[in-house]
Amino acid sequence: MMTRFRFLLVPALAALLFFAPVIAGGSGAIYSAFVLMAIFAVMAYGLDLIVSDLGEVSLAHTVFFAVGSYTTALLSTRLGAGGWTTLVASLAAALVFAALLGLITLRLREFVFSLVTYAIAVVAATVAQNWSFLGGSDGLRGIPPLDMSILGITLKAGNDREIWPFAFVLLCVVLYLVERFRRSRLGSAAIMSHLNPRLAIMSGVDPQAVRLKVFLFSAPLTAAAGWLYAYQRAYVSADILDSYFLILMLTAVVLIGRRVLLGPLLATVLVLSQEKFLSLGGYADKIVLGSVLVATLAFFPGGLIGLFHRLRSALRARPSIAHETTPLDRTV
Amino acid sequence: MNFGQQLINGLVMGHAFALVAIGWTVLLGVARLVNFGHGQMYMLGAFVTWFAIATLGMPYLVAIPMAIVIGVLVGLLMQRIMLQATIEQNLVSIMIMTLGFGYVLHGAAALFFGSTGQILDTPLSSKEIAFGDLWMTWQDAAIIGVAIIEFIVLKLIIDRTRIGRLVRMVAEDPKLAELAGVNVRNVYLGVFAFEGAAVAFAGAMVGPRTPILTSMGFDEVIMTFVVVVLGGIGSVTGSYLAGIALGLFTAFFGAMVSPAYTTAAAFVVLIAVLVLRPGGLAAGAR
Repeated sequence: MMTRFRFLLVPALAALLFFAPVIAGGSGAIYSAFVLMAIFAVMAYGLDLIVSDLGEVSLAHTVFFAVGSYTTALLSTRLGAGGWTTLVASLAAALVFAALLGLITLRLREFVFSLVTYAIAVVAATVAQNWSFLGGSDGLRGIPPLDMSILGITLKAGNDREIWPFAFVLLCVVLYLVERFRRSRLGSAAIMSHLNPRLAIMSGVDPQAVRLKVFLFSAPLTAAAGWLYAYQRAYVSADILDSYFLILMLTAVVLIGRRVLLGPLLATVLVLSQEKFLSLGGYADKIVLGSVLVATLAFFPGGLIGLFHRLRSALRARPSIAHETTPLDRTV
Repeated sequence: MNFGQQLINGLVMGHAFALVAIGWTVLLGVARLVNFGHGQMYMLGAFVTWFAIATLGMPYLVAIPMAIVIGVLVGLLMQRIMLQATIEQNLVSIMIMTLGFGYVLHGAAALFFGSTGQILDTPLSSKEIAFGDLWMTWQDAAIIGVAIIEFIVLKLIIDRTRIGRLVRMVAEDPKLAELAGVNVRNVYLGVFAFEGAAVAFAGAMVGPRTPILTSMGFDEVIMTFVVVVLGGIGSVTGSYLAGIALGLFTAFFGAMVSPAYTTAAAFVVLIAVLVLRPGGLAAGAR
């Protein structure tokens, strides 16, 4: 019953999402907000796999985001490359970076891994600010409009309204990939090495290899977001490595609940809605975002979903069934 | 390049790095806690000192304790909120929460102090000591002096006093310490209060060396990582030596290669050490 229902539900939800900007009024600001929500959600899904499935905190995912953006900017402004070339190159560059980073950090445990990934993000920011090849502090300007025309079909996007379908498709593809990952052998190996490393080793899973593979899978997702972000902004500069993106990604991962497919998307929508439509000013928004992140982890570590389940079971005053079938248990 | 001058710069920077890192050394050694908000707490210490001097017209010697008090309050508040996660040793949550705190501190400081760069002038920072053609400011001399005193006092407290014994016990085995009647929660709170005080003090002392910006916390913390990891996690003596080594390295690298890439170079050293000696240079030495 449930599966037959899904067949209808998924396309219906997707269609609703696709036309949501029109329903919301269809102004330029609305399209811009929707495009950014999709891009940042995609960015967060890369990190989601590392934090929620692998149980590690990578703080270097802003670097993958920047790798996607800078690759796109360099190839499109210097060599006149089109959308497909920049996409493939962004994914490839992210894979190379992820492999390097994965190999360097392979043997680092718990917080040392996070320290090193954080340091990588800061070093990347210094390099981007100072290296003239990457445009230095001015960044790279004049990225041409996105052009993904193929087989005689013209697919171009110059403004947010035209970019929205691309952002929407990218988001759907990434959602599909994340869902597939969680059902895959690699996905269950990741969860197992996260929750019970000894059991994982006994079952013939090599946690280090799993970690490297998950890294290689997750980096291109975040880089794909960087790819589209470069076209959306039409320029790339070192501020793409700002800690804002890191905090946004982490909030997206934890706010709704771990390993909930639509969690990062919903959280990104919530955060960006506040920033775009109920902004209190840049610095006050920082306080809001940082506080949301801290409060989530300190007071409802299961995210809003966990809070909801807790409230519901408190109301019923007996152990809730929903509690026993958290998404985590279902896969393991 | 003037070798003697770079040697002096390196020693001053090294003591500054060690001074900034000391709070985190204790935090990591005792509570296995990391604090990604460390850089922003340093920034706050420097700005509170600046505000007390430039706006409230207080003398430097009053501004420093003010910064320390604010640092302690921030540290206590952070640890109070993270206490549950600390007791559960939920490192993932703690790391992300400290990043969030750092972000909040950055936003709050920019709102309150403004987002433009400032110069923290102290009575010591404009007076120079010269030996021949070599020189440093009195502020630099003070940094070296207080860093040495702080490290010696800390070492004595940890090795020789009752508080030090309790703290070492909690570091070794929090559950056993709890059974032995140690109030582990208070030790964690105390350690975080020390972290807040120490890094705010470092902000007040080291802040005058460079222009201060509310956004500086993000990369300021890297040098602390390097010191803490190179020194061997939680080792007080190791941190002191690692700070000095890093200061000398930074001074000579900046003079001979490029000042813009010193952070990157320090990071490469960190990576090299981690790959070769995952436990740090002073592994095992406490």
